[in-house]
This record gives sequence, structure tokens and C-alpha cells, in this order.
Amino acid sequence: MTQSVSIAQPAQKAQAKKWALDSGWGRSLLQLAAVVAFFAIWEGAARLGWVSNFLVGSPAKILDALVRDAHSGQLFTDTGYTLFEAILGFVFGTAVGSVCGLALWYSPFVARLIEPFIVAINSVPKIAFAPIVILWFGTGLISKVALAISLTAIVALIAAYEAAKDADPDLQALLVTLGANKNDVFTKVVVPSTLPYVISTFRINVGFGLVGAVVGEFISSEHGLGHMIFTASSLYDLNTVWEGLFVLMAIGFVLYFLIDLIERRLLPWRQASNANTLKV
Amino acid sequence: MSVQLALRNIRKSFSNKHGTVDVLGGLTFDINERDFVSIIGPSGCGKTTVFNVIAGLLEADSGDIVYRGQTVEGLRGKVGYMMQRDLLLPWRTVLQNVLIGPELSKMPIAQARETAMEYLNTYGLAGFENAYPRMLSGGMRQRVALIRTLINDPDIILLDEPFSALDYQTRLYLEGVLMEAVETFHKTVVLVTHDIDEAVALSKRVVVLGGRPSQVKKIYDIDIAARSPIGARSDPNFSGYFHALCGELDIQTEVGSA
Repeated sequence: MTQSVSIAQPAQKAQAKKWALDSGWGRSLLQLAAVVAFFAIWEGAARLGWVSNFLVGSPAKILDALVRDAHSGQLFTDTGYTLFEAILGFVFGTAVGSVCGLALWYSPFVARLIEPFIVAINSVPKIAFAPIVILWFGTGLISKVALAISLTAIVALIAAYEAAKDADPDLQALLVTLGANKNDVFTKVVVPSTLPYVISTFRINVGFGLVGAVVGEFISSEHGLGHMIFTASSLYDLNTVWEGLFVLMAIGFVLYFLIDLIERRLLPWRQASNANTLKV
Repeated sequence: MSVQLALRNIRKSFSNKHGTVDVLGGLTFDINERDFVSIIGPSGCGKTTVFNVIAGLLEADSGDIVYRGQTVEGLRGKVGYMMQRDLLLPWRTVLQNVLIGPELSKMPIAQARETAMEYLNTYGLAGFENAYPRMLSGGMRQRVALIRTLINDPDIILLDEPFSALDYQTRLYLEGVLMEAVETFHKTVVLVTHDIDEAVALSKRVVVLGGRPSQVKKIYDIDIAARSPIGARSDPNFSGYFHALCGELDIQTEVGSA
């Protein structure tokens, strides 16, 4: 009796503890604590002179920069530009890439024909296109969007094509026996089964959209977070550089969760839990 | 009994880099109206190939398919195909899956919906019409697949080991459901299986394939009166057929390994 109690108790305790930390609130609390600790140590180190204020900056001064730019409105203009360029690039690039990738399903011949060209284009670091893109499209908004498209389109194209190629042949055969033509098979099997892969490229491409916008701004621009970071770094204004980086991080974060929301909307069948499986 | 579908000297070979494999070496057999024919044979004898030829998914190298007196290419749109995998579209609900056939043949959707709901009620799936396939058990999914096959009102139902992934109880139950549906809707069924027990219990006739490339080795008429899976298995004639068919397949393995 006593033995069974002494065994049961620690197990129960451990389980209760694990549950508390692994719950939504417990996790958020830990994550928040880590962020606070990180900035506290950084700030402390900067104030105590362990690290150079000049080279590393400090959270308090980053906050000052943030407040300053928010007050002047500069922050919102720059964020707006970058966000607009990134989203435009992401939407167009992903849409064009996905549609082309899916369309290649129709003709394995064309797909095999252009495969080496796609591989060749994909193997060039797209950032290297930036100078040409600026020459062609000027220093304005269009060149940044074009750069973002060049980054996102190829990712979407390859993912969509690979997924469409792997669409379950048995499902396609089943539809054919039910009297489906090629377009039916495409719209009712290939597109829906490719959708999860296309959406998973959204996550990657949101990041690439931002990369395209910011790199374009680095090279030549008058607005945007990339412009802000580039100008500040040439003036050795590290705190403003950090300000731009943190805003970029926040944008990426928000966009990521937006994609998550879109995914839930578009793929309700993936959310269907199998917890309440019923046995015949 | 009149012949519904006749296969005449069907040949099919597959070729790849390493050479050509003759799979079907001139198959000839008839399927009658309202027949229940099982095709058995050693693995790799081309059972599924026969199906794909009948369904119009593969073209035979030579030979004729005669359907109700007319030579046809294949029975696309006229057959219902059920496989070991239920092949439900995971992104569609149960009801949407059932309605895929009517949708493709542009049937009036309201009427098809009503029929679908009747079927779902009959087969114990009422209340699950808006569930996604992954929420259902294997037996339930296979019943949805059966309804999807039946609702299209096919002339011939092709079953490619449809129950072999299920546990024995579910399987007996679904065999019963199938037998009943076939009787009610007067369907012709062709069943491919390597389960001799299932072939004898369900069929009116069993076609044994053998050899390489495969040919029809023998056709058994199964004289079992009972029309339920358990009843048929208890019939005095059952074990006789069972042993005879086991014998047929054993001879094949010896020839194959020599």
C-alpha cells in the first residue's frame, strides 16, 4: 500500500508540472521571459561597458530611434513601401509560379523539355539579378517587386510542378473510370492535392518577398526599410539599423501567421482531427 | 444466360529498358448478365491488368472486348471500380465524395444529393455526410467507396481486392453489404482477389489464371445456394471448391519456381 502510493505520487506530480509548462499560457510565458532576459542582458552589457555601444547599440537607444521615426512618420512610410513591395512580389510571383508549375502537368513533354532551363535559372543566386533588374525597371517600386517576383516565382513553380507530378495516379485513374476528362482530373484531383504544397511555399515565399524588396532597396532606392538600414549603416547609426531589422522581423512574423490563417481556411480537411475515429 | 461482356484473346505486354514482359497471353472468357465472377491466380499473373483493360485505362495489344454484342475499346464511364485503397478524395466530405460520379456525368445535383443521402442512410453513414474521410474508420471509408460506386449506376462493378486491407469481421460484414447491394441493384460484378475463400463464398463463377504469360486455366461454376458470406462458407460444397482452387494455385507455384 505505502509502496504503491510512493510510486504514484511523483508520477502524478511530474505530469501536473509538465502539463502546466506545455499549455498555451505556460509556453507563451517562457517565450516572453526569454525575450525579456535577452534584452535585459543586452541593455545591461551596453550600460556596463562590456560591449561597445558604437558597434552593438543598445535596446533603450533602439527604442528611442523607433519612437523618433514613428513620431516623424518616417517609420510608417518606409514600412509601407517595403511591405507593399514584398506583398506585391509575393502575390504575383507565387501566383505566376504556381499556375505555370501546375500547367506543366498537362504536358510531360514540355515539362521534361524545359526542366534543365528551370534548374539553370534556379541555380543562379537570384540576388545576382538585382543590378540588371534595377537597370531595366529603374530605381522605383517596380524594380523591387520584379526582384521579389524573380525570387518567389521559381520556388512556387518547382514546388507546384513536383507536387502535381506526384498527384496520386490511382485517384486520377478512378476519376477516369467515372468518365472524367483531362480537365476534370486536373481540377478535381491535381489542383486540390497540390494545394497543401503550394500553400507551404507561401511560408517560404513570404520571406523571399521581403528579401527581394530589401535587397532592391539596398542597391538603389529612396524609401523602404532596406533604404533606412542601408543609410543608417553607412552613418554608423547601429540603433537605427536594429530598428529596421526588428520591424522587418515583426513584418515577417505577422505575415507568417496570416499565411497560417489562410491555410486553415483553404485546407479544412487537414484540420479534421482523427481523435474521434469511430469503429464499425 | 446471355453474355454481357466477352474478352476475346486479349494480349498485353509491358516493355521497359530491360526488355518486354508478356503479361496477358490471349485471355478469353465471358461474363454473363448479372454474373458474379472472381478472377484468381498467383501474384503477378496480371489480374489488375485485366481490370485496367476492361475499365479502359489500358489498351490491349491485341484482342477484342465485346460488350453486349458490340466491339468496344474499353468500358470507360460504364464501370464502377473499387480497389484495396478506398481512394476517397481527402479534401472532400463524405457526401462530396459520393457525389463525384454524378458531378462528372453532369447529373442534376439536387436529385443526386437525395439519392446519396438515401444510400448513406441505408449503409449506416447517416450523420457522417459532412465528415472528412480521415475521420472515419477503414470499414466506413470502404462503405463510402461502395456507395460512390453504386450511385453512378455502373453496368459492371470491378472490384480489385477491395476488402483485403480490412480485418476479418469488417470484411465479412462488407461482403454481406456487397452481396445484398448486388442482388438489390441487379449488378454484374467482377472480383479480383487472391483470397480463395472470398472467391468461393461470393462468386457464381471463378476464373483461374495461370502460366506466364497468363491464360485462363480453368473456369469453375460455383454451385452454392446460400447468398450470404457466412452461409456460403458453411455450405457443404464450400470446402470442395476451396480445395480444388488451392490445388490449382499450388500447381502454379511449382511451375513458377522451376
